[in-house]
Amino acid sequence: MNERGALAGLRVLDLTDLKGHLCARLLADMGADVIKVEPPGGDSARRVGPFVDDRPHRNRSLFFWFYNLNKRSLTLDLGHPQGAAILRRLAEGADVVVESFKPGEMARMGLGWDVLHALNPALVLCSIAPFGQSGQYSGYEADDSVLTAMSGMLYVNGFPDAAPVRPLGLQAYHSASYYGAIATMCALLARDSSDEGQGEGQWIDLSMQEATASAVEHVAANYFGTGEIERRRGTLHWSRFFRVARCRDGYVMHCTLGDWTSLLEWVNGDGKARNLTTDLTAPEWEDVAKRRADAEHLFDVLDEWVKDYSRDELLERAQLLRLPYASVRDPEALFDDEQLLARGYFHEVEHPELGRTFRYPGAPYLFTGSPWRVTRRPPLVGEHSGEILGGELGMSAQELAALAAEGVI
Amino acid sequence: MARMALEGVRILDFTWVVAGPVATRILADQGAEVIKIERGDENTMSVLGPRRTGLQGELHRNKRSAAINMTKPRGLELARRLAAMSDLVMDNFSARVMRMWGMDYASLANIKPDIISISMSGLGHTGPRCNYVSYGPTLHGLAGFTRMMADSRGEPAGYGYSYADMAGGYSGALAALIALWHRKRTGRGQFVDLSQFEALASLAGPALLDISVNGRTQEPPGWRSQEALAAPHGAYRGHPRGDDDDRWIVIAVRSQAEWERFSRAIGNPPWVTDPKFRTLYLRMRNREQLDAHVARWAATVDADAAMTLLQRAGVAAGVALNGADLAADPHLAERGFFAPVKLPDNSSTRLTGVPMRLSATPGSVRTVAPEVGEDNDYILGELLGLGRAERAELVAEGAVWG
Repeated sequence: MNERGALAGLRVLDLTDLKGHLCARLLADMGADVIKVEPPGGDSARRVGPFVDDRPHRNRSLFFWFYNLNKRSLTLDLGHPQGAAILRRLAEGADVVVESFKPGEMARMGLGWDVLHALNPALVLCSIAPFGQSGQYSGYEADDSVLTAMSGMLYVNGFPDAAPVRPLGLQAYHSASYYGAIATMCALLARDSSDEGQGEGQWIDLSMQEATASAVEHVAANYFGTGEIERRRGTLHWSRFFRVARCRDGYVMHCTLGDWTSLLEWVNGDGKARNLTTDLTAPEWEDVAKRRADAEHLFDVLDEWVKDYSRDELLERAQLLRLPYASVRDPEALFDDEQLLARGYFHEVEHPELGRTFRYPGAPYLFTGSPWRVTRRPPLVGEHSGEILGGELGMSAQELAALAAEGVI
Repeated sequence: MARMALEGVRILDFTWVVAGPVATRILADQGAEVIKIERGDENTMSVLGPRRTGLQGELHRNKRSAAINMTKPRGLELARRLAAMSDLVMDNFSARVMRMWGMDYASLANIKPDIISISMSGLGHTGPRCNYVSYGPTLHGLAGFTRMMADSRGEPAGYGYSYADMAGGYSGALAALIALWHRKRTGRGQFVDLSQFEALASLAGPALLDISVNGRTQEPPGWRSQEALAAPHGAYRGHPRGDDDDRWIVIAVRSQAEWERFSRAIGNPPWVTDPKFRTLYLRMRNREQLDAHVARWAATVDADAAMTLLQRAGVAAGVALNGADLAADPHLAERGFFAPVKLPDNSSTRLTGVPMRLSATPGSVRTVAPEVGEDNDYILGELLGLGRAERAELVAEGAVWG
């Protein structure tokens, strides 16, 4: 086991706002040294709740914590010429810069691709913007909800005759951040692909609209494939094999992919929906295409059957029969989930500044040779400015004091 | 420097359905040679549409396909020989399948010591529920996503699509790249045990910390902002376009400056000066009344025109695009996002393009999805060096579908 992590030795400068925070965190979790460059006073995400004990404070934002675990913090006013100059010095020794400024803003601050590339030809610059670096919408404003609209994601969520329902969990930001990390790793692998040593870095133009459009399986795909405009269908999944049903103590997720015979025997054996199930015994229902075509009827019948079950009862019995049913659980249930607990999914992270330890959600994957790790809690504002500027760039206490007086750090 | 970032990387791909193929598609788009091993007797995924267009066309483009029967000893032997020539082996089965075939990491490492094996099972290779069967939508249910996507009545209302498959696919692709980087630096391969359930749970984000730190029971957020506070914030029905009244404009007004620009852009109607909308705090508190005003305005304007008007004023706004809108979107067209492809019968279609642009080694859509077994000649002949007679024998034995 390589305890330092797969990306140990990589230096990443994270200039993003909340749109791109996850991107650099994905690299930090695997061992990269990520410096979160924040404006003096702190990143805007520090003002986003929820907060620890509901007490708003820039060092207590759980929103900031989630996206900035394992990073160090340097405060720097990039709009100030001296701040930009310090960033250029840091970029000389970095492998990656990730940013999410408005297109053109980096160049205006003297940090454009041409400048950074000339300073450090091996540097990879990953630019994440709502609509990319070029094109007629490139100057447009967006938050996550606007991006889910402009990607086709929002239109297909919710009930047919009602307003679209907003997707949970900042899926536009997350999709873009994942693609940003993937693109960055591709660029690093390309850079170091030759045996003669380091090649050149490159500039990644990542459009959040495009990343999010790619995260919807069927909207553009089915339009191009069949000409069909996909619409909202409530909880009926577009594939027509899944739908939510009400049961005794909540909701469950039906799934009509899987062993039809087992499902049918179970339903018939219960006798709970006898009148309704007689028509399901016709052999035509064994054909998965029939189950897809008449999904609404099929789920109406199955809804009658599940309504007396509890969520857990149904889940356990279905899984014994290898039927991919699921209970529709509250997110709180994750913390008691025996599978997650057995796999050590949650991590206790100490926050010495508060004298407390908090339970964080863990890794999307378990690497057996180079671990995903929590190496440091999310940083306080500017916590590492001294060690980075003084220790690593060799600036004197006098210089630092002058910069602080100017409001640069 | 290579022409494509992943030129020279070979992936033996056992993945199927959606999550796994998303991961290997991302890598194939960047130049990796992805060899799919598939059953030739039944195409279970044909219920998701034809192979070369639509979703299937997007999932399997840029890949190669061999129809090898893994239940036959000589089929297994072929797969092992291919693994010995590969950098990565990827699957999304539950743990027992690859073990049964002798294709689990320990066995693979005997064939090729620096192999990287990535298994993207539903719930992981260990733990009491490692053999649970799941699909993306059922994982939404287990992970709390379905419950948290409720409409205004509190009824579950999502999803129309499967984000779990994307969370699994993206993390699978990223894991592959990180493991390749590690191997380049250390010479060592490894096994990655990716649980799609955990990949999805890790994207529930700050809500999970709110539970563990504050002990707060989560409510479906609806249009309450999940990031910086905003009001007005919502999807408002626009003026019908012809007989289509399903046109929606999403607006997010966050700062005071944005509120002032928004007010000006819509012509400063009297209600914007109502004291109960004066500050963000008040707008949040009185958001139902605010929403009613905005909805009345939006209903008089075409959604596209509303977007242009508001964006020109520097206000975040966008149309809830449907499939046809996306296909016709002038900005995406200008950026060349959707990739035109020619099909073997000389017809043509478009596919969702590559959503990341690398300036020196751009990814691309180079070949359409192969039919199952379409590349048997290349894979068995060119890669494994089997002659015609030997291949005919394998087909006759049922180890290969020819």
